[in-house]
Amino acid sequence: MAARTRDRQDPGAGNKAVYVYGILPGDIEIEPGTTGVGDPPGEVRVVRNGDLAALVSDVDTDKPLGRPEDLYAHEELLDSSAADVPILPLRFGAVVSSDEAVTGELLGAHHDEFMAALQQLEGRAEYVVRGRYVEDAILREVLSEDQRTAQLRDQIRGADEEATRELRIQLGEILSDAVTAKREQDTRALGDAVADNVAASVVRPPTHDLDAMNIAFLVETSAADDLEETVAALADDWRDRIELRLIGPLAAYDFVDTANPAPDS
Amino acid sequence: MTVMQQPGGMSGGRPQPSGLADVIDTILDKGLVLDAYVRVSLVGIELLTIDARVVIASVDTYLRFAEAVNRLDIGHDKETLPDLVGDMEEGGAKHKTKGALEAAGDKLREFAESQGGQGGERAGAGRRSRKNGDS
Repeated sequence: MAARTRDRQDPGAGNKAVYVYGILPGDIEIEPGTTGVGDPPGEVRVVRNGDLAALVSDVDTDKPLGRPEDLYAHEELLDSSAADVPILPLRFGAVVSSDEAVTGELLGAHHDEFMAALQQLEGRAEYVVRGRYVEDAILREVLSEDQRTAQLRDQIRGADEEATRELRIQLGEILSDAVTAKREQDTRALGDAVADNVAASVVRPPTHDLDAMNIAFLVETSAADDLEETVAALADDWRDRIELRLIGPLAAYDFVDTANPAPDS
Repeated sequence: MTVMQQPGGMSGGRPQPSGLADVIDTILDKGLVLDAYVRVSLVGIELLTIDARVVIASVDTYLRFAEAVNRLDIGHDKETLPDLVGDMEEGGAKHKTKGALEAAGDKLREFAESQGGQGGERAGAGRRSRKNGDS
């Protein structure tokens, strides 16, 4: 609790650079000893410029980042902060040359934009609902709903694998399309069910063939319990066909906009 | 004034309720892009990470689905012995292919999925512990 902004020692030393996690209001503090990315992990510091602050730590530019520990460190710092204060999360891997670059080129030059964005996030956090179909259950569902699939399955069964390749592809495509349709339907159903509990939502693209839904919600802190109850009730309804998870509170990764995105490189 | 809490702590086993797969989906392609704000002082650093995977239906996907339906049949009473043997052989071959593909294309995620499975995740209860500080 007694943390203070520390001046970096030896700003020009070696291959040190400054890793930036996120941007927050200037009146925050961080517990001493909090560690971030890198091996060994750097200590997280607060760099301030007026009513804005950034969470940073020193990194060695000669060492690559991206081990699971780095990824966890980045997200855990942001998420644990987001539970208490508004924070604008930066994408993993944001590195600048010095603290002065953070205070000047980052915080100073974009002050109004960041302040406005932080105000939008005041009292809110992100929650993600992920659903995964129970494979057997969802396939049986499709088989019972679409006669073609059962016929194809009977044709394929016991036959030579190479000889039935086209039939297999045909069957698989019907199944894949059916699961896609179910995903859209169940995603809508979830969105409708929680509509009263959330301020905004973003449907994320599926990352697995059997994803049932992957939606990010921006939620008022005061509505978080209601959201949890609604999702728990749905999880119970869908018990046999979808494994449902509620993840949060998280930093608002899906609800921060980069005004002027850099081209992909 | 708000005091931020230290996340987990290195020694005591950090809480990882959302699993590495979720982390990858979240922090690698979402959040503010630094390049859009900082140009002069930007430092490039090597990243080991992979892109978050997006599902694109392909022939492989279709064959996997067809195979999954075939597996469903195993254990059905009506099935004759030759059918069963045939199914099991196919299953074994497919598993091998799948494993090789995943290993080549997506090692990190594979690790992530296996991690995610043991994270004590439950339907409706997979959330992080919430701090009821200021609301």
